[in-house]
Amino acid sequence: MTETSAASSIIRCVDLWRTYQMGEETIHALRGVSFEIQPNEYLAIMGPSGSGKSTLMNLIGCLDTPSKGEYYLRNQLVSKMSDDALAEVRNKDIGFVFQTFNLLPRATALENVELPLVYAGIPKAKRMERAREALDRVELGTRMSHKPNELSGGQRQRVAIARALVMGPAILLADEPTGNLDSTTGEEIMRLFARLHEAGNTIILVTHERDIAEHAHRVVLIRDGKIASDEMSRKAS
Amino acid sequence: MPFQEAIAIAVASVRANKLRSVLTILGVVIGIASVIAVVAITDGLDRYMADKVLALGTKSFTIQKFPDVIVSFDQFREFNKRKDLVLRDVDLVREACTLCSEVGGLLVTGRTVKYGSLRQEGAQIMGITENFARIGAIRDLLTGRHLINDDIDSARPVAVIGTDIVEALFPTAEPLGKEVIIDGNRLRVVGVAERKGKVFGQSQDNFIWTPITAFRKSFGSRRSVTIQAEARSMAVFEQAQDQARLALRNRRHLEYSQPDDFNIETGESVMDLWNSATQGIYVVTIVVTGISLLVGGVVVMNIMLVSVTERIKEIGVRKALGARRRDIQRQFIVESVLLTGIGGILGVLLATLFSFAVGKLMSGVVGDEFTAPVQLWAVAAAVVSSTVVGLVAGIYPASRAAALDPVVALRSE
Repeated sequence: MTETSAASSIIRCVDLWRTYQMGEETIHALRGVSFEIQPNEYLAIMGPSGSGKSTLMNLIGCLDTPSKGEYYLRNQLVSKMSDDALAEVRNKDIGFVFQTFNLLPRATALENVELPLVYAGIPKAKRMERAREALDRVELGTRMSHKPNELSGGQRQRVAIARALVMGPAILLADEPTGNLDSTTGEEIMRLFARLHEAGNTIILVTHERDIAEHAHRVVLIRDGKIASDEMSRKAS
Repeated sequence: MPFQEAIAIAVASVRANKLRSVLTILGVVIGIASVIAVVAITDGLDRYMADKVLALGTKSFTIQKFPDVIVSFDQFREFNKRKDLVLRDVDLVREACTLCSEVGGLLVTGRTVKYGSLRQEGAQIMGITENFARIGAIRDLLTGRHLINDDIDSARPVAVIGTDIVEALFPTAEPLGKEVIIDGNRLRVVGVAERKGKVFGQSQDNFIWTPITAFRKSFGSRRSVTIQAEARSMAVFEQAQDQARLALRNRRHLEYSQPDDFNIETGESVMDLWNSATQGIYVVTIVVTGISLLVGGVVVMNIMLVSVTERIKEIGVRKALGARRRDIQRQFIVESVLLTGIGGILGVLLATLFSFAVGKLMSGVVGDEFTAPVQLWAVAAAVVSSTVVGLVAGIYPASRAAALDPVVALRSE
C-alpha cells in the first residue's frame, strides 16, 4: 500500500472495531477491519448473517460510528464527527440503496428523489430539475408522478437508485439491492449498477448471495467480524 | 431543511390521517371555541346591560327598604326588620336634597286589569308622584295628559296606561276617558305612555300609573314607599345621595356607628353587581379553558407520540438521506403546531357561529337587538394559546423522533 494510493482512496478504514453492550454481555461485531476503496471501484461486501457485514455497512454509510479505529471518507475523518456533520456526509457523500427500497409511500417518485436535495437546502425549481435528470438516468423519466404503490418492484428500486444518485455522492452503498426482486428484475438492476459503474460511480454492494457479489470487481468476505478474504473477482480481469 | 418543506410534510401527514387529526384537535377546538364564545357573549351582555341600565338614568337613584339583590332568606328577614319608608320621607328628602332636581315616591303591585269582558293579567300597577315620568329615563305620552299635582293631592282615581294595556283592553276603542277596573277600583284613563319595548324579555309597557295617594287607598297603605330622586347633574350625583342619606339617618336617629337601615340604589350599583358577576364568569372560563387546553394538549402529545412511532422507519430513511436532528425535530413540532393551529382556527369559526346563534336567540328572548360579536383580542389570544399548546405538546415527541438512532430506525418495521 503506497502513500499515493492512501491519499487517492475514497474510503480508508483503519482497525475498525464495533462493540455492542447486550446486558452483561459485550458483543464484538467488528474486530479490527482495515481496507481501502479507490474511486470507481465496484466492490461487494459478502458474508453470512451475523458476520458483521451489516455493522460494517452502517459504519461505511455513516449511520453509526466505530467504537475504535478510524474511518476516512474522501480524506475526511468521519469516525469522530458529530451527529449533524454525519447527517451532512450521508446527505452529500453517500447514496443509499436499500433491500426494501424505503421510498416514502405518500410521495411521488419525483418527490422521493427530491428528498436528499430538500435536506441539502436546494430550492424547489432546482430540485425538480435535478430529480428529473436522476430519474432519466434510471430510465424512469415517464413515471415521475407515480407513487411507489403504482410502480413495480424493479421500478421502485430504480427510483431508490435515482434518489441515491441525485446528490452526486462519492459512493453508492447498496444493501441487498435485489433481495426483494425476482431474478429477472434483479438482473436488470445489476445491469443498471454496471452501467453506473462504467459512468464513473463508486459502488459498494452488501450481499450474502455469491452470484450477486460476482457482479462486482472486488469481493471482500467478512466472517466473525474480520476480513476473511479480499480478492478481485473474475469480472475484474 | 426550509420551513415550507416542514409545513408541506406536516400538511401531508395531517391529510393522510384526517379523522384522527380531527379527533385529536377536538379538545383544542372546544377549549378555544368556548373561551371566544363566552368572551363574546359576556361582552355582548355587558354592552346590553350598559345600554339598558344606564338608559334608566345615570343621575337618578332610588331609596328602598330592600336592596335590589337579596341572596338568602336570612338576609330577607334581616332587611324585613327595617322600618318602612313612608310618604312623609319623600317630602323630607325633597326638602333636604337641594342638589336633587326631582324627588318622588313610588309604590308598585301586580294586578289584573279589566275593561268590559277584556282583561290583562300581571299588569304593573304603579302609584306615582307627578314627577315620575321626569325621573331617570324621560317617558313621553302618545295621547292624553300626564298626572298632575292636583291628581295626587286629591287622590283622583285616574290612570296613564302603557301600550300593552291599550292593546289588550282597547283593541278597537279609544282608551281616553274609559274606566278600567282593578280589584273593583275604577280608574279613568287620562293618558297613554309611549312604547318602550322589552328589556331582558320583560315588557316595559304593561303598566298603569295612578296617583300614589289613590294607590294607597285602593291597594293598601302598609307598604314601604320607594323614593326616586334625580340629581341636578352628574357632578353632584354622590353629594345628592349623601344629602338624602343624611336626612333619612337624622330622621331615624341613627348613631354614627350604625349602618343605613335603607338602601340607596343607582344604575351604577346594578352595573357594579353585574361587573362582579361577569368577572366571575371570566375567571371560570379561563380556568375551564385552561383545563380543556391542557387536556387537548395531552391528547395532541399522545397522538404525536403515536405518529412518531408509526413513522420510525420513515425517520430512519430521512436520516439516511441527510436529515439532521433539527430537521426531524422541526418536522414534528410543525406538525403538532399545525394540528393545534387548525384546532384554534376551527375553534374561532365554531365560536363565531355559536355567538351569532346566541345573539339571534337572545334577540328573540330580550325582544330587541342583541349582538355578541367575536372579540379580536380573544381570537388573537386563542391563536397564540393554541400555538403554544402545539409547541409544548410537540417538543417531547419531536425530540424523541430526532434522537432516534438511524440504524435502529431503519431496522424497524
